[in-house]
Amino acid sequence: MSNQVIFHPGALEEQGGDLVQMGFTCDSCGKTTFPVYELCPFCSSEHGKKAPLSKVGTLFSYTVTRVPVGFYKPPIVAGYIDLPEGVRIFGQIHADVEAVKNGMKLKMETGVIWTEKDGTEVIGYFYTPYAKEGEGAE
Amino acid sequence: MRDVYVLGIGQTIFGKHGNLTVNDLGAAAALAAVKDAEISPKEFQTAYCGSIHSSATVVQSALIRLGIGNIPMYTVENACASGSSAVHLLYQDIGYGIVDIGLALGIESLSTFHKKHGKALLGVEGDLQAKLALTMPSFFAMLCNRLMVDRGATLEDICYPSIKNHKAGVTNPFSQYKKAVTFQEIMDSPMISDPITVLQCCPQSDGAAAVILCSEEYYKKLNKKTHRPAVKLAASVISVSGAEDTSFDPLALETNVRGAREACEIAGVEAAKDIDVVEMHDAFSGEELSAYEMLGLCKPGEGIAFARSGAAELGGRCPVNPSGGLLSMGHPLGASGVRVVNDVTRQLWGETGANQVEGAKVGMAQMLGGVLSAIESPVVAGVQILTK
Repeated sequence: MSNQVIFHPGALEEQGGDLVQMGFTCDSCGKTTFPVYELCPFCSSEHGKKAPLSKVGTLFSYTVTRVPVGFYKPPIVAGYIDLPEGVRIFGQIHADVEAVKNGMKLKMETGVIWTEKDGTEVIGYFYTPYAKEGEGAE
Repeated sequence: MRDVYVLGIGQTIFGKHGNLTVNDLGAAAALAAVKDAEISPKEFQTAYCGSIHSSATVVQSALIRLGIGNIPMYTVENACASGSSAVHLLYQDIGYGIVDIGLALGIESLSTFHKKHGKALLGVEGDLQAKLALTMPSFFAMLCNRLMVDRGATLEDICYPSIKNHKAGVTNPFSQYKKAVTFQEIMDSPMISDPITVLQCCPQSDGAAAVILCSEEYYKKLNKKTHRPAVKLAASVISVSGAEDTSFDPLALETNVRGAREACEIAGVEAAKDIDVVEMHDAFSGEELSAYEMLGLCKPGEGIAFARSGAAELGGRCPVNPSGGLLSMGHPLGASGVRVVNDVTRQLWGETGANQVEGAKVGMAQMLGGVLSAIESPVVAGVQILTK
């Protein structure tokens, strides 16, 4: 059985059998941030609520990297995705390059994003095109 | 605050110096500055060094070779603004009367770094977004995306700073690259991160630069180059950004906008009217294009028109990177922040030959660096204003 780890501490949390991006909404300034830090990165308040972030967001800008980066092989499609909570997330986009456009809706999914040399599977998030409510990637 | 003067400058040629250590590079630049100022290295009361990847105590290792010891020395890391930070800390020490004279050094050997870590694109170690393949080229590629969408920039516009700066590099004896490039050559070079091709990226370099700063009293006492007009470091600002959300506009980077505005206020100048020359962080061609308006050289939203008017080239309203910039000069990360201060100084001294901006009286030196999660990236800028 292969060993699995989350790619970055605090990037994904298990909730009801699902992996979610946990955000923090500050009681003082109202901003939502990701991941959850010691204090609110905007106003330094410690008071607020943790809640899973929306899984669907809007692509703000993107690029296609044509050279390898770490374990990733090109082409690496990636962009900034704006969530309704006001959080901007950087993530890779698993989609046909031609289909990727600013303003498109993308849905967060989780899975193995790379495998270490010792076989450890590293779990992370990535985005896929989102068509309609309740419908995932095509 | 007391006035701060430039007494001397020095640098190595930036380039591939795989056979030289960071100590070799730092000692060479410091010695060049000492010889330029014609002073004894024993005059220094403190030294700061900007570097990202050097080994521990690099500043002491480099400077003992010139007999410089027994004074406080510090190495400072602030991404591509590391050298700017060394200059800034020395400026504060002199301005606030803590010391009268000191050396700001910037050192980097990317050959040494690549031997350890390989040559692939790297993000900041341990950063969440870097683990998802966010790199400097991909960050600026996404900025270029917004330049095209929000400002109507064409690929020709995005390549323009690279064409301009490579042309300037041909006539600069200090330049790593001395080759002009065309739009077609740029777009035919390998794609790194759409729309950024290799020839829109600065080279990775080894090198060091050094500047000697002093108080007015020491300037009068020690300055032997009396033919040079006195050049003051009239303002120095290190600006760091804060938390990021969806309101963040990559075409109005907080670090650049606030850094330039505050530096101009301190120096008592108006960027769009008074700045005669700029040496800035053009790690990517599109980055320079986006910066004209952020640095205040033109109104917000008018950066593309500013470029198309020829204002940023030699003979224009405010030449930007007449040295050839990082794109031609090379970019030994920690050294570049010192190098831009030196190049603006040389412009004000009138010592840049074919690349001289005629009548330059006020210049701006700028650096920008760091791409991280949760912070408006790039995270730090250094902006210095020099006057004569």
